[in-house]
Amino acid sequence: MKSRRGLTAYAFLLPSLLGVFAFLLLPVAIVAGVSLFHWELLDSPHFTGLANYRRLVHDGDVRHSLWVTVLYVLLTIPVQTVLAVVLALLLNQRMRGVKFFRALYVVPWMATPIAMGLVWSWIFDPANGALNRFLAVFGVDGPAWLNDTSFALPAVAAVQIWQYTGYNMLFFLAGLQGIPAELYDAAATDGASPLRQFVHITLPLLNPTMFFVLVTNVIGSFQVFDTLYVMTGGGPAGSTEVLNFRIFQTAFQQFDFGYASAMAMLLFALILLITLLQVRYFNRRTTYDIS
Amino acid sequence: MRDSVRRRAGRKLLAAAATATLLAAATACGGGSSGAGGRTHLVYRTWDEQQKVGLEKVMKAFEAANPTIDVSVELLPYDQYWTKLTADVVAGTAPDVFWMQTTEFPDYVTKGVLADLTGDIKDTSVYNKTVVDAYTYQGKLYGVPKDMGDVALLYNKDLLAKAGVTMPDQLTWAPDGSGTFLPLLRKLTVDDRGRHPDDPGFDAKKVKTWGFASWNHYQTQWMNWMVSNGGQLIDKPFGKFAFNSPQDVAALQWGVDLSRKYHVSPPATETNPPTGQATEMFERGQVAIFPANNALLPYVKPAVKFPIGVAPMPAGPAGRAVNVNGLSEQVYAKSRHLAQAKTLARYLASPAAQKIMGDAGYVFPAIDSLSQGYVDYWKAQGIDVAPYVEERKGKTFNLPIVPGFSSAETDLNQTLNQVYLGALSPQKGADQAVKDANAKQK
Repeated sequence: MKSRRGLTAYAFLLPSLLGVFAFLLLPVAIVAGVSLFHWELLDSPHFTGLANYRRLVHDGDVRHSLWVTVLYVLLTIPVQTVLAVVLALLLNQRMRGVKFFRALYVVPWMATPIAMGLVWSWIFDPANGALNRFLAVFGVDGPAWLNDTSFALPAVAAVQIWQYTGYNMLFFLAGLQGIPAELYDAAATDGASPLRQFVHITLPLLNPTMFFVLVTNVIGSFQVFDTLYVMTGGGPAGSTEVLNFRIFQTAFQQFDFGYASAMAMLLFALILLITLLQVRYFNRRTTYDIS
Repeated sequence: MRDSVRRRAGRKLLAAAATATLLAAATACGGGSSGAGGRTHLVYRTWDEQQKVGLEKVMKAFEAANPTIDVSVELLPYDQYWTKLTADVVAGTAPDVFWMQTTEFPDYVTKGVLADLTGDIKDTSVYNKTVVDAYTYQGKLYGVPKDMGDVALLYNKDLLAKAGVTMPDQLTWAPDGSGTFLPLLRKLTVDDRGRHPDDPGFDAKKVKTWGFASWNHYQTQWMNWMVSNGGQLIDKPFGKFAFNSPQDVAALQWGVDLSRKYHVSPPATETNPPTGQATEMFERGQVAIFPANNALLPYVKPAVKFPIGVAPMPAGPAGRAVNVNGLSEQVYAKSRHLAQAKTLARYLASPAAQKIMGDAGYVFPAIDSLSQGYVDYWKAQGIDVAPYVEERKGKTFNLPIVPGFSSAETDLNQTLNQVYLGALSPQKGADQAVKDANAKQK
C-alpha cells in the first residue's frame, strides 16, 4: 500500500520534474560543459579545459563586476527587507482602508521591469525629471543621477527597493497573522514592553518568512539585469556593470560563449554558496511548529 | 544604427528575449526549401517592419519574372537580428538572402559565410562608391549594395524664424570655434530671459531652446567631426581602430565644447545614451538644429508639430565629410539554393527593384541615379531632402569597417559618455576607447 502511494506521488511529480530537468538542470549542465570550451559563435568550439576559469581569476573587469554585484545586493536587501517588515507591522493593524494600502504597496511588483526602468529614467532625468524638480522646491540642486558614477547604482537599487518592498510585505503580513495572539497577551501580562515583544516573539516567529524572503530576494538581486540594462546600460564608466550584465555582453555582444559560461558558473556558485549559508543559519533558528 | 530611435526602443524591449532567442535558434529553420513541381522557396530576412511592405512588392515583381521561385520575407526585430543570425549560421540554417550592415560585415565575411557576388554584379559603377567599398573584401564584392542613408542637419523652421535667422547654404566650423556655425547656434540658444550664450548674465542652467544637440552618437556626431577635421577612424579597412590622432582629439574636443564651453547644446547628463533624450528634445522643439540620418525621417516627421528643414552638415578644416551608412543584401554561402538566391540577388541589384523602394520613400537606393524618386516622395511630404543628395557628391566615409566593432560598441559608448560629461579628457577618452576596441578584435 505504502509503495503504491509512493508511486502515485512520483507519477504526479513527474511532469514538473521533467520541466525542472529540461529547463533548469539541463541548461546548467550545458553551460558547465560550454565553460570548458573556447567557443566564439562563428568558429567551431574547441576544448580548453579550465582555461576560461584561469582567465576569470586574472580578469580585472570580472573582479570589478563581482564587487558591483555584491554592492548592489548590500544596497538592496537590508533596506527592502527592513522596510517590508515595518510596512507589514503598520498594515497589520485594524484601521480604515488597510486593504487598499496593502494592495497599493504591491502594485509596483506587478510592473514589467522594462517599462518601469523607462519610467524611472524619466524620473531621474537631471533637467526635466520629477525627482530633481521636487528637490529644487527645497533649493537642492539634484545630481545627474544616472550619469554620475556615485549615484547610478544606488538609483537603480532604489527602483528595486521600491518594486519589491510591497511584495515582501505581503509575506511578512501573512507571517505576522500566523503568530498566536496569546503569546503577546502572556508577554504583556508578564510586563514585556512592545519592543521586547517584537524582539523575542515577533522576529523569531517570523523566521520561516524571513528565510523565504531573504533567499529569494538575494538570488533576485544577484541576478539583476533588465531594469539596469534600460536605465544605465552598465554605465556610467562601468559603475553599474553587475556580473549578469557582463555575462550578457560577453555572450551576446562579443559572442564569446565559453568565457561567458564560465562567468555564469561563477555567479551560480556564488549564489549557491550564499543560499547554503542562509539555509544553515535559519535551520538552527527556525521553529515551524508553534502549536 | 539605421535609425537610432527605433533601435534604442527595440533594444530595451527585446534585450531580455536575447537568451531565449539563442535557445530557440537550435530548433529554428531559416533556409528555404524545394517544393513540388520544381519550385524553389527562398527566405529573405530583414529587420525593418516598415520596409517589409515595400520589399514584398519587390518580391512579387521578382516572382512574376521568375515563376519557379517563391520568396517569403521574414521579419526579425533588430535586437534579435544579429544574435539569431549568428546562431543560424552556426546551425547551418541561415536564410538564403539577408540584410547586412557595414559594422557587422567584417565579422561575417571573414568567417566565409557570405557568398561572393563579384560575378553577378559586374558593373559596380552605378552604385554609390562608399557603399560598394563597405562591402568589398580582398577585392571582391560581397552583397548587393541595397540602400544608403547619410547625415545632414535637420532644423526646426519655426525656431529659426523666431530667432530671425535663415539657414545659409554653407556653414563652417573649426576646433577653435571659428567659422559661421557657432555664431548661428549662439543666436538660436536662448535662456528663460531671452539671453544668448554670449550675453552677460546668460544662465546655461535655464535654457529654453538650444541651438544644437551635440551628443555621444558616433554615426551622426563625433565621427563626422573627426573626418571633417582631417582625422581618421581606422588605419585601413579591416585594420585597427585609430581615432586618437591629434585631429580626431581636437574634433572630439569640439563636440564636447559645444555643450560645456559654448553652451549651445544641452549637457551630456541629458543626452548620454542609453537614457538620453537628444532626439526627443529636437522633436519637442527644445533643440533647433539636429544632425540625423535620413532614415530617421519617418520617425521624426509624425512626432513634430513644426516644419522641418534640411541643410548640409557644416564643413570643417578638411571640408565637409559625412557618414554614409549603406545596407546590403547578402547571399548565404551555404544556401541550399545558391543559384536561385543569386538570381534573386541580381534582381535586387537592378534598377527595377531599387526604384520600387526609392520611389515609395523607404530609402535612398544604392544606385545613385535613382535618388530623385526618394526626393520627390519626401517633397510631397513637405520635406526637401535634396541636401542629403548634394552632400554625397562631396567627401563621404563609412563607419569603421573592422572586425569586432559590435563587440567594442558598448565599451566605446561608455567611454565616450564620460568624455561628453567632461569626466574624461578627449585625449584620454580617445586613447582608452581605441585601446579597448582594438583589444576586442580577434
